[in-house]
Amino acid sequence: MDSPRGSAFVRGFVAIAPLWLGVVPFGVVYAVIARDAGLSLVETQALSLLVFAGSAQFSAAGLFATGAAGVEIVLTTFLLNVRHVLYGLSLGRRVPLDGWRRPAAAYFLTDEVFGVVAARPAPSFGFLMGAELSLFATWNLATFGGALLGATIPNPADLGLDLVFPLAFLALLVPLVRTRAELAVALVSGVVAYAVAQVVSGGVPIVVTGIAGSLLGAWLTRGRAVGEPRFEDAVREVA
Amino acid sequence: MTFWLTTAGMVAVTFGSRYAGLALRSELPAFWVRFLHFVPIAVFAALVTPSLEGAMGEGEIRLVGAVVAGLAAWRTRNLGVSIAAGMLAFWLLRIPF
Repeated sequence: MDSPRGSAFVRGFVAIAPLWLGVVPFGVVYAVIARDAGLSLVETQALSLLVFAGSAQFSAAGLFATGAAGVEIVLTTFLLNVRHVLYGLSLGRRVPLDGWRRPAAAYFLTDEVFGVVAARPAPSFGFLMGAELSLFATWNLATFGGALLGATIPNPADLGLDLVFPLAFLALLVPLVRTRAELAVALVSGVVAYAVAQVVSGGVPIVVTGIAGSLLGAWLTRGRAVGEPRFEDAVREVA
Repeated sequence: MTFWLTTAGMVAVTFGSRYAGLALRSELPAFWVRFLHFVPIAVFAALVTPSLEGAMGEGEIRLVGAVVAGLAAWRTRNLGVSIAAGMLAFWLLRIPF
């Protein structure tokens, strides 16, 4: 797997490729919704370039359409995106980052990149940036395409393409579960997230579950040391 | 103008969240090191279950797709193959007979 097939950047870029199938249609649809909501071409693209957070952009477009106050949109964005604190805490200990590399890595950080990088043994900064820019480029090209296309495309949820995302995270989760404590955390987290999502949707279930599940794991493994993911157990991102 | 002010706010809270975790680099007590080990496991599970059933009453066949993808991930440890297997199972079951 670590046989050098191109640079770390290229390997990171390609590692995200299986997710393009899910990212492209949703980028297109985001742009269509944003244009319907009355945002200009430049504004639609600006959210993808500057904020670069799918769920927050979807809800912002919807809120702009209803004439919501800016404060409400910013607060919703915060609730949806505060989960990235957990991703940063986890990644910051595994990828060596200094100087400009830290804000650069932070700017492009997403669920999908965290998933692919966290499931990989000893990821480098180059691999991380390759994965991050792979998603950024795809999302922004899809936004641009959607903003030009207008409302002539079918809803990807009608095709079931939204299923790509839970399948991807399940496929990333499976190889990480090796001990009883890890299995317990995965099962309990799945149930807790489902239950919380019945009450409040968006980013809150991820934050609540991320904290509760990790506390459970730390408590279950008290008195033991847990290591890095083992080399042979990491998921292979590409064939 | 409101748009750009709102966007600036969105950028601030989004980048702030993304940067805050990465910026914390001090040595952590053993409990929190173990806590962080479980973050990907808990978060990935939380990204699966709430969006599994979907909004179109296809919960059962989506669940079958997830089981197929999970088995494929267990056997192959390959992300692309797992997604393809799960989506294929889902789309095949979706064909009205």
